[in-house]
Amino acid sequence: MDKKKVLGAIAGLIALYILPMFLGNYSIFLLSMLAVYALVSIGLNLLMGFTGQIAAGHAGFLALGAYFTAILSSRIEWMPCIVVLLLAGIFSGIIGFLLGIPILRLKGFYIAMATLAFGVVVSEIILQWSSLTNGDNGINVPVATIAGFAFDSDYKLFYLIVSVTIILTILATNLVNGYIGRAFIALRESEVAAQTIGIDLAKYKTIAFAISAFYTGVAGGLFAYLITYLSPDAFTIELSVDFIAMIVIGGMGSILGSIIGAVILTGMQQILAGLLDLQILIFGISLIVFMIFMPKGISGMIFDLKERFASSK
Amino acid sequence: MLLQVIFSGLATGSIYALVALGLALIYNTTEHVNFAQGEMSMVSAFIGFTFFNFLGLSLPLAILLTLIISALLGIIVERLVIRPAIRAPHFNVFIITLGLSIVMKSLAGFIWSHNDYPYPSIFPDETISVGSATIDLIGLGNIATTVVLMLILYVFFKYTRYGTAMRAVSENQNAAFLMGVNVYQSFSVTWAISFLVAGVAGILMAPVIFLSTHMGIVVINGFAAAILGGWGSIPGAIIGGLLLGVIDNVAPLYFPSQIKNIVPFMVIFVVLVIRPRGLMGVERFTKV
Repeated sequence: MDKKKVLGAIAGLIALYILPMFLGNYSIFLLSMLAVYALVSIGLNLLMGFTGQIAAGHAGFLALGAYFTAILSSRIEWMPCIVVLLLAGIFSGIIGFLLGIPILRLKGFYIAMATLAFGVVVSEIILQWSSLTNGDNGINVPVATIAGFAFDSDYKLFYLIVSVTIILTILATNLVNGYIGRAFIALRESEVAAQTIGIDLAKYKTIAFAISAFYTGVAGGLFAYLITYLSPDAFTIELSVDFIAMIVIGGMGSILGSIIGAVILTGMQQILAGLLDLQILIFGISLIVFMIFMPKGISGMIFDLKERFASSK
Repeated sequence: MLLQVIFSGLATGSIYALVALGLALIYNTTEHVNFAQGEMSMVSAFIGFTFFNFLGLSLPLAILLTLIISALLGIIVERLVIRPAIRAPHFNVFIITLGLSIVMKSLAGFIWSHNDYPYPSIFPDETISVGSATIDLIGLGNIATTVVLMLILYVFFKYTRYGTAMRAVSENQNAAFLMGVNVYQSFSVTWAISFLVAGVAGILMAPVIFLSTHMGIVVINGFAAAILGGWGSIPGAIIGGLLLGVIDNVAPLYFPSQIKNIVPFMVIFVVLVIRPRGLMGVERFTKV
């Protein structure tokens, strides 16, 4: 990486970290929400955009991470929030791995159906297992603490959430540029061809499920800390579809695209708050239009423009 | 008691069978998975509702017009959003139909609002007793309609020109094309028939569960039925649908009643884990 890029990245980071000083509480909350969505988006994109498996139940993983965080941090109060988040991610990742095993036998849309069913079953279990999850009444999430320091305002939480998101984004970038990421892409392009060049299908598909679920689980934990109250009806099929819309619009198979998608989802929810039908309509139309005209999403478009600009120079 | 429950299971199941049938028709011809199948039923039912409620047409006339419009809508939808992506991977088309389903739902919300409306049935709202069981005529009528529609479709596919062409396309698109079959036309006809079947399902379903924009969620039961019966198999769609209807109605007798919410998902999950090709499905091999 050249010097300019590194300097640019550092400048961007500093700007991001001093940004909250100029913003109101609500804007800070929104930025944190954006960061949570970005994590979900990256997680989903690793599975859907990079590995080519339609996953229609990521609200389920988000719920797993969120409830795990809420329950664990209320039972073991001294546990540092970073450890809780990590465990939430691992818990969700293990479930993702286990879900990935039966799904190995399935292809294409069957995977979409199985994951869709998974998402619904998770929220139903949360609803019914009320001795643990408090069922319909929802559950309060304790304040995130680390060694006595409490992240008890949106302002403090922003730094926790954004830092976790940045670290995991960098890790994801490395992952997709490395051996594992290339294996994912090979599987997406052709499972048979990938196998013939020695890529272990079973291994990499389950890894993709596990990592995707890990990211979404951590995002779920952050989500729980951020909104401080969880109820099972927040994790619906519609939310899973929103997540799919997020990466389709942002750009499948691109980390940048994941973040763009998260910006768009947060922005739309904000601008069209209270106009749910219009919001859904716009999402639906964009799913269709993007899939027909720009299957690579906004990040793909940016990339194409850059190429054209570079070749015309 | 059990007999009674099984009967109402078959009545519900006949609707699931129609949804599964619509899915199988599209899949067989185009290999596309249509997530909007349930919303198609919903839109058709609302169109019928508009005809007899706002325009004051008689119910049979309203239904006839609805079915014609449904078939036309099928052609329009195929032209507008499916055909432009015909060379795209099936993955993309699945996302397009997902988009289509939420577009239809939100548009229906704008036009008709998200309220529940009572819906008249063409069958009399009466019951007859057979032995110990009471059988309602609406349920019986729904089962009968499904059977008749199946027979019509069977004759269509077996003996008509279009039907034969569509079977050829589902067998092998390229070979059918080389034999002079108009493949694109087959796609149009498939969507028209599938939307029509969805329309029938919608009109049968609405009197039972009330008309609302949330009706489209029945697509999940349709998927469960089709997967249970064997994806892409027409007899499988029927058997899967009826069986799912029975499971749906019998399960609450033995389990807590909340089980009803997740029956289709459990069925999808269990079938896919244990026997992905379902009851009647055939193992599919992919050529490289």
